[in-house]
Amino acid sequence: MTISSAPDQALVLAAIEQVWGSMLFASAEAWPAERAADFGSGVQAHIELRGDWNGRLVLTCDSDVATQIAGAMLGLGPDEELPELDVHDAVGEVLNVVGGSVKGALIGTWALGLPDVSETSEAPSRDDSFVVSWGDAPVYVQILPDAA
Amino acid sequence: MTISPQAFTFVRELVRAESAIVLDTGKEYLVESRLVPLARAAGHPDVDAYVADLSKRRTPAAMKQVVEALTTNETSWFRDADPFTALRQNVFPALAKTRSNRTLRIWAGACSSGQEPYSIIMTALDTPELAGWKIELVATDLSEEMLTRSRKGEYSQLEVNRGLPATTLVRHFERAGLNWRINQSIRERVEFRSLNLTRPFPPMGRFDIVFLRNVLIYFDLPTKRDVLKRVRQVMAPDGHLFLGAAEMTMGVDDAWERVPAGRSSVYRIREEQRTCVL
Amino acid sequence: MRALIVDDSRAMRRIVGRILGDAGFEVLEAGDGQQALDLLEGLDGPPELACVDWNMPVMDGLTFITEVRNRPQWRAITLMMVTTESESDRIVRALAAGAHEYLIKPFTGEAMLEKLDLLGLLPTSTGV
Repeated sequence: MTISSAPDQALVLAAIEQVWGSMLFASAEAWPAERAADFGSGVQAHIELRGDWNGRLVLTCDSDVATQIAGAMLGLGPDEELPELDVHDAVGEVLNVVGGSVKGALIGTWALGLPDVSETSEAPSRDDSFVVSWGDAPVYVQILPDAA
Repeated sequence: MTISPQAFTFVRELVRAESAIVLDTGKEYLVESRLVPLARAAGHPDVDAYVADLSKRRTPAAMKQVVEALTTNETSWFRDADPFTALRQNVFPALAKTRSNRTLRIWAGACSSGQEPYSIIMTALDTPELAGWKIELVATDLSEEMLTRSRKGEYSQLEVNRGLPATTLVRHFERAGLNWRINQSIRERVEFRSLNLTRPFPPMGRFDIVFLRNVLIYFDLPTKRDVLKRVRQVMAPDGHLFLGAAEMTMGVDDAWERVPAGRSSVYRIREEQRTCVL
Repeated sequence: MRALIVDDSRAMRRIVGRILGDAGFEVLEAGDGQQALDLLEGLDGPPELACVDWNMPVMDGLTFITEVRNRPQWRAITLMMVTTESESDRIVRALAAGAHEYLIKPFTGEAMLEKLDLLGLLPTSTGV
């Protein structure tokens, strides 16, 4: 992998693959552009990155996917319930680890914020996001620079 | 019955996370066959039930057993710290007193993805008695893929988390994207070569130290005996052989004797046998 | 033996807590550095180990480690950073502030046990 001075899709995808594999024991793959990525209501996690480039990484997924991610991280069985607060916390921590991996791979001095997780009712536009797989479900990833 | 896709994915990702070894699709049979004994021992009817339970409990000891059942390669730095402590505190200082040319020659005989030979070099750099010495390290493996990886000296975040003290990481590695690369000054001290231990060795000269850990266990008795005999022929008479903790020369090739070295032990050619190899 | 986990993520505290619990530790938890200092003040004696995240609200892990190192009565605590901060200069800063080891997220249970072994904190540890 080449070392870049701003986060790009290849780097973020590689970081997600590593985190999916090591923390969630699942594989992440790029979602084909032509495949529909439907989504009801869900969870959105943000984390800020400050340095030569300023902006945030955003992860958006369906509520059920968020619950599955939290369950995989904590090693829960399918019948074990997890309060929404804990689901949000787990998804935030997953993004925190992705953000830290991305930050460490970039040239220069960078600072990472704390993750912030909220509910969302719509999926991001596919024009300014890329999609990775969680099993058969889509997870939207955005690399958003601060508005000028 | 065959392993379910969910169970296979869990095991594949676990093994990849712990060892960087990738079990491709098609290795379901391997996973099934290696895990059946563990599943039975844990009282589960089949591998799927065992893996489901494992993914729920995440007991580190059980996870380790699964990884070890599926990998035959060394993956940790300074794996089993004791031999490296023995190297720094006993073996290197002893040899430092007897080599007037200030040169040590070392062979790592099954180097896998390179952690062992690089750990040996890092240990030598931490040994005051060897300051300014020339260390020649030949690292061999059967697998060209492993040799290519080793030469590159690049390891994932997960791999550098394994057994490598943080002080050693910052001293000897630099970031390479998401990975870490071992410094060139260490990489260039190791010569990586392809070698099949079961065939006659190519000309390599004499070694003061040989690492041959956790590889003899995969050979039958006559092959073990043959390998140990040929290792004697490429060893300095007062050389030191490191084997895995579960391996021994007794009853295999009795020309070797086991000598304590710190908390570990090394094997040396018996005094009366040394003339034969000169 | 007792271990204090300082991390703002409940999920991470649960994961680390399970690994340490399986390794025989009695586990204490705090959600930031200040909470951790308050908790330590109230204990009858210091825990053997503290696993400390870097980025946390209120008081970050680096400040917490510096505070712990400034109190002689807490000198016996072995400090391990467990964080997603992964640049060499961050690791050097944490070690200079008094951390004994540094484990980068993501990590596996096995990697954490190997770090504890390096620190001589497992029942089977022989130290290095």
